[in-house]
Amino acid sequence: MNNDRDDSGTRVLSRRSALQAGSALGVASLAGCLGLFDNGQNVEIPSLSEFRGSGALVEGRPAPGGTSIEELPDLSGDLALYIGGGEGGIYYDFVEMLQNIYPDFTVHSNSNSSSSLAQTIVEEVDAGATQADVFWSIDASSLGFVAENDAYEPLSDAATGPVGNSQFVGDDSAWAGIAGRARAVPYNTNELSASDIPSTVQEFPETSALQGTMGWAPTYGAFKSFVTAMRLIEGEDAARQWLVDMQEAGTERRGNEFAVSQAVADGALTAGFANHYYAMRVKNGRPDAPVDLAFTEGDAGALINVAGALKVKGTQQGELVDNFVRHLLSAEAQEFFATVSFAYPMISGVAPVGGLPTIDELSPPDIDLAELSNLEPTLDLMDDAGVSG
Amino acid sequence: MTIRGLVARTVGRATGDDSGATDVGLTLLAAAIAAVLVLPLLWLAVDAVGLGDRALELAVAPQTLEVLVRSVALVAIVTGASVLVGVPLAVITVQGSIPFPRFWTVLAALPLAVPSYLGAFAFVSAFGPQGELADLLAPLGIESIPSVYGFAGAAFVLTLYTYPYVFLTTRASLLSLDGSLVEAARTLNAGRWTAFRRITLPQILPGITAGALLVALYALADFGTPNIMRVEVFTQFIYARYNAFARDYAALLSLQLLTVTAIVLALESRIGVDESGAYESSGHRGNADLELGSWRYVVLLLPAAIALLAIVLPIAIFGTWLTAGGPGYQGGGLTFSWEYGFNSAYVAVLAAGVSILVALPIALASATSDSRLAALADRAPYIGYATPGIVLAIALLSFSLDVLPAIYKTVPLLVFAYVVRFMPQAIGSIKTSTLQVDQELVEASRTLGRSRLGTFRKVTLPLILPGVAAGAALVFLTTMKELPATLMLRPLGFETLVTYIWEVEEAGLYGQAAVPALVLVAISGLSMAVMLAQDGR
Repeated sequence: MNNDRDDSGTRVLSRRSALQAGSALGVASLAGCLGLFDNGQNVEIPSLSEFRGSGALVEGRPAPGGTSIEELPDLSGDLALYIGGGEGGIYYDFVEMLQNIYPDFTVHSNSNSSSSLAQTIVEEVDAGATQADVFWSIDASSLGFVAENDAYEPLSDAATGPVGNSQFVGDDSAWAGIAGRARAVPYNTNELSASDIPSTVQEFPETSALQGTMGWAPTYGAFKSFVTAMRLIEGEDAARQWLVDMQEAGTERRGNEFAVSQAVADGALTAGFANHYYAMRVKNGRPDAPVDLAFTEGDAGALINVAGALKVKGTQQGELVDNFVRHLLSAEAQEFFATVSFAYPMISGVAPVGGLPTIDELSPPDIDLAELSNLEPTLDLMDDAGVSG
Repeated sequence: MTIRGLVARTVGRATGDDSGATDVGLTLLAAAIAAVLVLPLLWLAVDAVGLGDRALELAVAPQTLEVLVRSVALVAIVTGASVLVGVPLAVITVQGSIPFPRFWTVLAALPLAVPSYLGAFAFVSAFGPQGELADLLAPLGIESIPSVYGFAGAAFVLTLYTYPYVFLTTRASLLSLDGSLVEAARTLNAGRWTAFRRITLPQILPGITAGALLVALYALADFGTPNIMRVEVFTQFIYARYNAFARDYAALLSLQLLTVTAIVLALESRIGVDESGAYESSGHRGNADLELGSWRYVVLLLPAAIALLAIVLPIAIFGTWLTAGGPGYQGGGLTFSWEYGFNSAYVAVLAAGVSILVALPIALASATSDSRLAALADRAPYIGYATPGIVLAIALLSFSLDVLPAIYKTVPLLVFAYVVRFMPQAIGSIKTSTLQVDQELVEASRTLGRSRLGTFRKVTLPLILPGVAAGAALVFLTTMKELPATLMLRPLGFETLVTYIWEVEEAGLYGQAAVPALVLVAISGLSMAVMLAQDGR
C-alpha cells in the first residue's frame, strides 16, 4: 500500500458517516443557496458544520475568514486527479464533498504514494501520454520533482493568490500549498515545561531532562524527511552522529508517530519527535491529556512540509484545475483541513486548531523542500547509525 | 538467381508445398498476427538492458533471490498439496463405490469456477484480524487467532482453487486405464495397494504430471492471491516495485518470472503427455473396483469438506454482505455502480470479437496447411497465454510509453492485452471444429465452381460456427474476471467489476464487494460450463 500513509488507521467513523450523510443529502442550510447558475447546476453548499471535524479542539472556533465556496465559479466537467495516498484518505473525502456539491463535476482519481505518482507524471508527460490534469501530493518534495522536470503548467494568480506565505508556492507558480504540517516535539506537561526543551534538536542528546525518556518512529516517512533535512543542513556525519547519540541517550522506538504522541500523553515517554497533528489528535479525544507541543527554531526539527496541488503539463482542463485549486484554498476547505486532519491552514483567515502558533510564527529551516526527495543517502546513514527506517 | 526467385523459393519452402497463393497469404497473415502478439514482450528486455551493469547486480541481489526462492517454494508446496488432494479425489470418484458419483465429480471440479483472488478475499475477511471468525470468538475471550496472511495462508488458498486441474487430468487417465491389467495383477495375488502402485500409478502418472504442471503455472502467475495475502512472491513483488516506481527492476523481475515459467513449460513438453487417448476408454472399466464398504461415507468427507471451504464459504460470505452489509461504512466514491458491470462486459465483448477475427486465420492456416510457418503461427500465441498477466501488463505499459503513447492506458491497449492472453482459447476451439469439417464437402463445392472464399462462407463457416461461438464465449468469460492487466492498463476512471472489487478490498470496505463478487462467481461458473461442454463434444 502507500509508503507515506499518514494515518494509523484510527478513523472517526461517526464523523465520517456524518460527513457522508450530510454531504450526500446536501443538507439545506443557512449558507446553502438554491439557485440556478449559469451552467444550470443545482448547487447546494452544506453549512459550515459539515466542513468541520468534531471534538474538543474544534468547538467554539470562530467562523473562518477567506473566500467562501459560494463566491467561487462552479466546478463542472471531468477532472483526472493523481492523489498522493496519505492522511488516511481525508483529502479525498473533501473531493467527495465537492462532487456532491456540484452534480456536474466528476473526479477520476488514482491514488498511490506521492513519490511514485510524481515519477509517473514525469514519465507520462515525457512520453506525451499525460493522464492526470492535477496532482495533489502530500509532500513538497514530490511537487518539486515534477516542477524540476518541467512537467507542470503554472497555476493562475487567482489560484495561488490565497496562500498566505510565499514559501508555500512553488517557483513560477508551479504548485500551491494546500495544507501544512510541522515537525514538533510533543512533551508531557506533568514532567516537563516548555523551557526544558532546547531550541535546536542538536542539543537534545546532552539535555539531562531528556535522557532515556524520548521516543521516535524511524520507519515513518516524515521522520525520514526530518533526517534528510538534518543531512542537508548539518552534513552527513553530524546527522549520523546525532542519531547515534540519541540512541545512546536511550530513545525508544515506536511503530508510528501517533503511538509516540499517545505514549507521551500517557507518561510512558516524556517527549518525542512527531508531526504536530498527532498530539492534536490525542488532545481532541482526551482534552485533559497532559501533552503539549514545543517547536525548535531554524533547524531540521522545525521543518514544515506541505501538501500541495500542481497543474500537469498537457492538460486540456487548465481552467478547471485552477478553479479546483481555488476551491481547495476556500474558507470551507481550509477549515476542513484544519479541523479534520489538524493541518496548518495555508490562508491567513483560518487559524490552526488548539492554540498552535500560526504558521508565520514558526521558524522553519531555510531549505528547498524539493531536495527532501533524495532519500537514498538518508536511508544509508540511518542504517549505519543502527536506526533502520 | 534473381532475388525474386530466391524469395519465392524461400517462401515456398517455409510455407510448405505450393498450395496456392491464398494459403501462402493466409499463412503469412497468421504469422504476422502471431508476431504482433508476441512483440511487446521483447520490450521487457529493452527495459532491463536500460539498467546496464545494475541489471546483474539486482538479478542476484539478496532480496531478488529471496523472492525467487519464496516463489518456487510456494509453487512446489501448492503443486504437491494439489496432487495429494486431487489424486485421491479422482480415485474415489472414478473407482470408488460411492453414491451419486456424478454429483461428487462435479463438486470436486467446482472450485476451478471461483477465481482464486475471490477465494483469498473471502478467506481474509472470514479469518482476518477483523474478520467474522474473530468477531465470533471475541466474546469467548479469544483475543487473537493465527494470522491468515502470509505464506501458509496463500498456499492453502491456492491449493484449494487449483487442485481441480490435477483432479481432472488424473480422472481422465483413470477413465482410460486398462482395467484388465489391474485384474491380472490381482489374480496373481498382488495386494490392492501393490496393484495400484505397480500397475495403476505408472499408467496415470502422465495425467497427474500434466495437472501438476498446470497447477504450477497457475500458482506462479497468480496475482490476486499473493497480493491479498501479502506474500512477497514474484507477482506481488513486481507489482510493489512497479508502484514504487522501480520500473526497470520490475521489468527485470518480470524477465526472471518469464524464465521460471519457461522452465515449467519446458518440463511439460519434455514429459509430453499424450492426451489423445485421454477420453476414450481402451480397457473396460466395468463396475467400481474399489470396494469401500462402510468407508464410503468417510471418504466422502474429503470432497464435502473441500467444497464447503472452497465454494460454500465464499458464497456464504458474499451473500451475508449482500443482506446484512459487511465491514466498512458506505464509502462515497466506492459505492457500487452497474456502470462497472457494463464496462466489464464492454471490454469483454471487444476482446471476444477481436480474438475471433485474429484466431480464425491462425486456426484455419494451422488446420489446413502443414508448413512450418503455419505451425509456428499456431504455437506463438501460446507464449502470450502462458505469460503471467502482470508481466504482460508491465511490458505493454513500457512499450506504449516508449513507442505508441497514443494507446497508453486506453481501451484498445487493454483489449490487446486480453487478446494476447486469451485468444489461444479461441484458436483451440476453432481448430477442433475445423479439423472435423469433411474436406470432401469443401472439394465438392470447389468442383461446382465456387470460389475459395465462397466455399468458406457457404460450407466451412456454417460447420465451424459452434466452435467459433464457444471460443468467443470462453474469451468473453475469462476477460470478465481477468485481474492484473485490467488493473494496470485501464484508463483513469475506467472501473470494472474486478477493479472495483480490488479497490474495495484495499480500502477494507469488504461489504461493498458483495454484488460484483457474486456476479463474478456466476460468470466463472459459466465459463467452466462452456469448457466442460466442449470437452464433452
